[in-house]
Amino acid sequence: MNSEHEPKIVAFLCKWCSSAGSDMAGVSRLEYPSNVIPITVMCSGSVSPLYILSAFNLGADGVLVSGCHPGDCHYIKGNMYARRRMALLKELLPYIGLEPERFQMSWVSAAEGLKFTQIIKEFVKQLKPLGPQTQLRRSL
Amino acid sequence: MRKKIGVFVCHCGINIAGTVDVKKVAQELSEFPGVSYTVDYVYMCSDPGQNLIIQKIKEEKLDGVVVACCSPNLHETTFRRAAQSAGLNPYECEIANIREQCSWVHKDKDKATEKAIKITKGIVEKLRWNEPLQPIKVPVTKRALIIGGGIAGIQTALDLANSDIEVVLVEKNPSIGGHMIQLSETFPTLDCSQCILTPKMVEVSKHPKIKLYTYSEVQEVTGYVGNFQAKILKKPRYVDPDKCTLCDECTQVCPVVVPNEFDLGLTGRKAIYIPFPQAIPATYTLDIEACPGVLPIACGKCWDVCEPKAIDFDMKPEIVEEKVGAIVVATGYDLYDKKNMAEYGYGKYPDVLDGLQFERLLSASGPTRGKILRPSDHKEPKEIVFIQCVGSRDPELHNKYCSKICCMYTAKHAKLYKHHVHDGQAYVFYIDIRAGGKGYEEFVNRTMEEEGVLYLRGKVSKVFEENGKLVVWGVDTLAGQDIEIRADMVVLAMAIRPSSGAEKLAKILKAAQDTDGFFAEAHPKLRPVESLTAGVFLAGVAQAPKDIPDTVAQAGGAAIKVVSILSQPELLHSPLVAQVNEHLCTGCSMCVDVCPFSALSIVEGKAKVNEVLCEGCGTCAATCLRSAIEVKNLTHLQVHDMLTASLGGLK
Amino acid sequence: MVEVEKIREEARRLLQEGQVRGVIGYVRGPQGVWAVPAMIRNPEDVDRLVWNPTCVHNLVLFVVEEKKEQARQKEPDKRPLAVVVKGCDSRAINVLLQEKFIEREEVILLGVSCENSGVVDKKKLLNLVPSQKIEEIVYGNNGHIVAVIDGERRVFPPEEVLADRCLECQANFPVVYDHFFGEKIKKEAINTSPGVDKIEKMRLEERRRFWEEELSRCLRCYACRSVCPMCYCTECVVDPISFAVEPTTTAEEKAKKIKWIEKSPLLSENFVYHLVRAIHLAGRCVDCGECERVCPEDIPIRLLNKKLEREAWRLFNYVAGMDSQAPSLFSTFKETDPEDFIR
Repeated sequence: MNSEHEPKIVAFLCKWCSSAGSDMAGVSRLEYPSNVIPITVMCSGSVSPLYILSAFNLGADGVLVSGCHPGDCHYIKGNMYARRRMALLKELLPYIGLEPERFQMSWVSAAEGLKFTQIIKEFVKQLKPLGPQTQLRRSL
Repeated sequence: MRKKIGVFVCHCGINIAGTVDVKKVAQELSEFPGVSYTVDYVYMCSDPGQNLIIQKIKEEKLDGVVVACCSPNLHETTFRRAAQSAGLNPYECEIANIREQCSWVHKDKDKATEKAIKITKGIVEKLRWNEPLQPIKVPVTKRALIIGGGIAGIQTALDLANSDIEVVLVEKNPSIGGHMIQLSETFPTLDCSQCILTPKMVEVSKHPKIKLYTYSEVQEVTGYVGNFQAKILKKPRYVDPDKCTLCDECTQVCPVVVPNEFDLGLTGRKAIYIPFPQAIPATYTLDIEACPGVLPIACGKCWDVCEPKAIDFDMKPEIVEEKVGAIVVATGYDLYDKKNMAEYGYGKYPDVLDGLQFERLLSASGPTRGKILRPSDHKEPKEIVFIQCVGSRDPELHNKYCSKICCMYTAKHAKLYKHHVHDGQAYVFYIDIRAGGKGYEEFVNRTMEEEGVLYLRGKVSKVFEENGKLVVWGVDTLAGQDIEIRADMVVLAMAIRPSSGAEKLAKILKAAQDTDGFFAEAHPKLRPVESLTAGVFLAGVAQAPKDIPDTVAQAGGAAIKVVSILSQPELLHSPLVAQVNEHLCTGCSMCVDVCPFSALSIVEGKAKVNEVLCEGCGTCAATCLRSAIEVKNLTHLQVHDMLTASLGGLK
Repeated sequence: MVEVEKIREEARRLLQEGQVRGVIGYVRGPQGVWAVPAMIRNPEDVDRLVWNPTCVHNLVLFVVEEKKEQARQKEPDKRPLAVVVKGCDSRAINVLLQEKFIEREEVILLGVSCENSGVVDKKKLLNLVPSQKIEEIVYGNNGHIVAVIDGERRVFPPEEVLADRCLECQANFPVVYDHFFGEKIKKEAINTSPGVDKIEKMRLEERRRFWEEELSRCLRCYACRSVCPMCYCTECVVDPISFAVEPTTTAEEKAKKIKWIEKSPLLSENFVYHLVRAIHLAGRCVDCGECERVCPEDIPIRLLNKKLEREAWRLFNYVAGMDSQAPSLFSTFKETDPEDFIR
């Protein structure tokens, strides 16, 4: 396995908490690896499992879905629906052989810039030894 | 035709340019499909920067603009406004965040540049499919409906009416005033409750902008923010207030006596009655449940003696319709039900009272004219026990929450007791003393120190009667010993519960309740007087237990929220809302189930979006198995294409 | 025992009285012993109806087809359809009710008990007996299956010949019906899915190899989707094959169709297809086993759905199709839903 592999991570961040939290990391100048490309969505509840599977299919080595902590959702309960959907996906992916580390979910509030950076750092650290994700990656 | 997109890369001084090779970003983007113009500039948000965008939109005939700069939270509005002034639809301008989410968090310039390019490409892909949108305009009915005529509803009504907004105030009881009018004196200043409330009640009744429906209930509400229609049931009073002269002859002859609700059963009232002397409206109500007969007229004594013939047994329930633009829920509370507190003998022993009953005893207009006397034998109680947290803070058996006002009113009760019964001894059983409020801590301390009230930290296990005394078995957890007090009177600080009609009303308004049954606020910190339903606001205990100052403050807050809606000629709503592809929709209603704003319904087998209610969260879009519902300008296609670009693209 | 004559009687009555526009049931098929689905519209034809262990099909598919057909007709016959449902099939009805695809009044459900047994896996039985010789397959005692071969009765224990799903089934009688035939015997499955157990016990690498082997054979013929009563969508999100490209269709409209996956049966695309399908069936799949039965490549598709069935129960106490009034698995949540996987 290639330990120098730089994993490509897509992070679906809800606009109100997690994207704001990653902004907070920026404002606080907290450094973290550049492997993650953020995609801001309105709510973690709007993240369809299709997005995650498609991200892997389009070559992502890891996918993060991050929303507001329970009770803090800007839309009251979007994150609760997300939690259910993602719980099943989280079980399904390793069942077909995908490393469980490749799909993660987190609650990051607008104030948790530090937590955001820690999650990304940890994520990158976990993915590096796994090498590229090829199982769901489209190869023409 | 493909959009011509311009990409404007901001240096933000060295904030971005220090870590990201902005020239390279502009260069790479200029080769990206659909991008017809790129430029980098030191401060895009400056006037010259904005002018550059405006100028280039015009010169290059751009259909869309991506500004790669700081977080959209900072300058999205700035750049959208600039785009608009150049003749673009503001929704054709998008922000690529390459500062907070890139330059500020990375050090390696190559890597940061690479990431900035990906982020910007992703946003270009999103913009490619953006639709030009206009804010959704909604007409507004400049009237407000307030449900509940206690202090919360009264204050909201007055604040609104004094802001020149017409108010419809609905109260289910025969008079407004709520629980506050039952109180004796109020903590921590010991103002007389009636003295400070009755002027407000009178003002409500005289205010030209307030339409008052007492003895009435809201039955149905349709419509949405700015445009609600409410059906209000006016229960028959059987007394015409215009004719009634308040001579009181009717109650003199009425043979029926039932417990008086206003005195919480400590006194009786007749079947025809006025709830209390200062009632608004000042008129009588015939309690048809208690009256021995309207059909056939078995009694009719009141009718016989009523000189102005104000009594009309043929009065019927009436339903009136009112159009309003906003609704305030101010339905207050009820005390926790007696039957839940059998171990304290509540409801069994006449001298075990709840807090509101004790208020009536303390009230100068109450059953004992302000003297503290035992209901059982009209003797002055020399030893009195107050028990706090009765039914509150008990997740196993009762309510898990703190009822918030009990610590303070119990201190007040103990203090006032001592003012009346100088040689009496008061005991207070408490779990904690929660006296967070201006002057509250001092008030409790004075009660303990100046009045010699004995505070015992611990719970009471049982209250029972023995030889004319109420035996209170408790424990003092500080001293670590069991305590037995032989008291003459026991006062229970009962938990407060959402008003009995709250659940029904929540359904009528489609407003959510929390797990305890109180109305749920839209956000616990930032939107405490708004409900989850647009245009429906909350005031007072309907939302959560709170005291009078907090209630009045919240009422004012709710009023200004109503004003902020009703003062607009029309409401503007974000056009980033869900839209349905009817060809794909099967009407399964999963989206309807998940929508937090009740913005979706099934009409003729297809999902339908109420654009005014939709907040664009997209939970429906992720739930729909058929991709039949999506949020405008953040569609599945846009996410897919953003993913493709962000991941470097596939051939 | 289910007395087939009673089913016929009821079907005859419904047709004679004009209460239904048709009865969807099983009849003896052209290949002899193996039953096939049939729509009976004439009372005279009801004697063709059979009930035996070869009645494998989930007839709810035809309710779906009929419903779609009705939507195309100008003046459709609005009378209900009678349909023979087994336990699993009845839960499919519940899911369709839950999703408001059909109304309860649109169907009259002739519920049948699976006789404390199940239906036969044709492949398993044919491994034991050549098919042309089988004259009859009927239920025996204690869940046993009896095949009459050359006039001779041969008794097979259930584990030898029943479909896997029946061996794993815990609800072998209908949960919703208008008429019920047979006895409700609650069967206790020893293991609700040994197949899932087996995969769960594999190492990650082995799991990946297992599924790569299986899914690499997928031809993307979509038989699994066509036979599934839950795959009633107008267009399938992963493969909008029914997207009508007309001369008037603009390039933009075509471009707006998302290609979530490639049409060609690449392994990666097969993976995504089957994963999306599994997720879309979570809380909806009633394990009627049809997808697996019709797969020309014998891909164990059920094992994907079974895994999510297991997790939906373990994580959310949710079983598909038990209650037509309850919200769907993904359109509800509990405050206490597990979140130990969330950081």
